[in-house]
Amino acid sequence: MTWTIVVGVKQVPDADEVGIDPDTGRLDRASAPAVMNGPDQHALEAALTIRDQVGGELYAMSMGPPNATSILEEAVAMGCDDAVLISDRAFAGSDTWPTSLTLARAAEALEADVVLCGEETTDSSTGQVPPGIAAHNGWAQLTYAEAVDARPDEDRLVARRDVEGGHELVAADLPVVVAAAFGEFPPRPAPLHRKIYGENDFEPTVWDAEDLEIEDEVGLAVSPTSVGSMETVQPVERKSEVVDDVDDLAAAVEEVFA
Amino acid sequence: MTDAIDVDDYADVWVFVEEHAGEVMPVSWELLAEGAKLTEKTGDDLVALTIGEAVDDVAAEAIERGADRVLAADDPVFEPYRADPYGAQFRAMVEERNPSIVLIGGTHTGRDFAGRVAVPTHAGLTADVTEIDVDEEGILQARRPAFGGDLLATILCEDHRPQMATIRPGVFEAAGRDPDREGEIVDVDVVVDESDAISDVLERVVGDTADITEADRIVAVGHGIEGDLEPALKLADALDAELAASRAAVDEGWIDGSRQVGQTGKTVRPDLYVAVGISGAIQHVEGMNKSETVIAINDDPNAPIFEHADYAIVGDLFEVCPALADRLTDQRAMEVEP
Ligand SMILES: Cc1cc2nc3c(=O)[nH]c(=O)nc-3n(C[C@H](O)[C@H](O)[C@H](O)COP(=O)(O)OP(=O)(O)OC[C@H]3O[C@@H](n4cnc5c(N)ncnc54)[C@H](O)[C@@H]3O)c2cc1C
Repeated sequence: MTWTIVVGVKQVPDADEVGIDPDTGRLDRASAPAVMNGPDQHALEAALTIRDQVGGELYAMSMGPPNATSILEEAVAMGCDDAVLISDRAFAGSDTWPTSLTLARAAEALEADVVLCGEETTDSSTGQVPPGIAAHNGWAQLTYAEAVDARPDEDRLVARRDVEGGHELVAADLPVVVAAAFGEFPPRPAPLHRKIYGENDFEPTVWDAEDLEIEDEVGLAVSPTSVGSMETVQPVERKSEVVDDVDDLAAAVEEVFA
Repeated sequence: MTDAIDVDDYADVWVFVEEHAGEVMPVSWELLAEGAKLTEKTGDDLVALTIGEAVDDVAAEAIERGADRVLAADDPVFEPYRADPYGAQFRAMVEERNPSIVLIGGTHTGRDFAGRVAVPTHAGLTADVTEIDVDEEGILQARRPAFGGDLLATILCEDHRPQMATIRPGVFEAAGRDPDREGEIVDVDVVVDESDAISDVLERVVGDTADITEADRIVAVGHGIEGDLEPALKLADALDAELAASRAAVDEGWIDGSRQVGQTGKTVRPDLYVAVGISGAIQHVEGMNKSETVIAINDDPNAPIFEHADYAIVGDLFEVCPALADRLTDQRAMEVEP
């Protein structure tokens, strides 16, 4: 038996390039190039590992604007068989509740046995979407997964989960949502011929809210949370004194305890 | 569409007390202290939740640390922790008793199951909160860093209940114990059954669960140590400091995850923080920028950590750490000798 594996990828502003507009004090996201969320690249590698173990189809899915096609091309270059872009103005203002609903419905439509996600995104870092997908579908979940082991004969996936002070091995029934721990699945490089295919010949399937029959369940209106305000955090003032030798450093330490 | 609810039907502040095999995660007591501040303003009851097996002592301690009432779900199905039974039990308790605010520690466990409560109840869930307050109308103001800590966003949940938040460990002071405090322990119905479980814990290995959030002095190591803890241990010894680490050092397996500082680790606030071979990524700085004095040891003069340090030295940590440790030990010896 082979599995259908789906990996969720998100387009985010490159975290290293996001600046703050000095005049408005607001984030200047526009100037940062859009890239695939780093932790999602590790999820994709975990997905490839599972496909290597059991065989099957691997799909990438992304909820985002039309230009998120570029990260789906990248996902296909990295080894996904096919990809779906879930795009609709109706999604605007969605918090994690409707976002995870959308991805849950898409995973259902793709008849996923396993859904992989990154641990969290670098732009909103809630980490709530993977458990949210599992909760919407009533599926099992394995978060903070550091290693994955497919057991096709048992219809289960085993993951080693990172827990405070140690780890645990958890077996979950299919279908299951896995959040891959960032740093644990360094992505393999995309072969050149896949890159060329991804960029030149590949087009993702596009779904909108109506295709998933969730027009009335997404967007700002059904999002339980809203952003009240944003404040710029003043960086903590530091002395930033560079000392030349260890004696000076020792003196600085003594000063702290004086 | 979901039906509108009447927010006035919801009352009380709930705090989840996380325990594993009887051992309570310190963040639980931090949340009880914060929860008490909220109930002082709203006049609600402060309710602790324990979910586990034979956790009577934990429930009693929650009362001593400020809970007015404890809701206890006691059953072998809850040990060890699994997302599906916890989520289902917690959800049933929420649906039966309508809490207004629910606080959960932002641990791997808390962040694992919180969504399994918030999604089916259509609650507002704010992740990884570092500041909380409540206004006159009982609206929770949950503040969390955005974009690696450059911004602080206030997240509100006006029309849905409960208002849920996972809260980062180490940010708040823990509630103290008062053995004379009285409260009520309520045994709640256990609604989950082993036969419904869709996951199975095959093995659980937990060793060192260091609490670096209480340390006065910290020596933190990064990727620059290349797997050799010796120089940092020597320095930590000379300073009587706890060892901590960046995520890169944790991911390499050089040091346990309970000692990770940062956005997805712990928030620390020692008097002295020595960053050894740590570049100073925003996700790391976010967890250590409440430190009183920061010292950085790094061989790259352009490392961002220098902007977040009070004193810095450009040098090889394998030379600087032992030399500094010796120097400090000598100084101390001199102080002791007449
Ligand atoms: C979603 C997400 C969450 C994250 N959460 C966290 C978090 O909670 N905590 C965290 O720390 N990171 C976190 N990170 C990772 C973070 O972005 C950085 O990758 C990480 O902090 C880098 O660790 P480092 O500084 O130890 O390693 P590096 O960036 O590799 O830096 C090593 C440093 O050591 C120096 N060095 C090397 N050799 C020597 C030597 N011999 N002597 C002196 N100096 C030397 C180098 O110059 C360099 O500056 C997160 C990332 C993501 C995407």
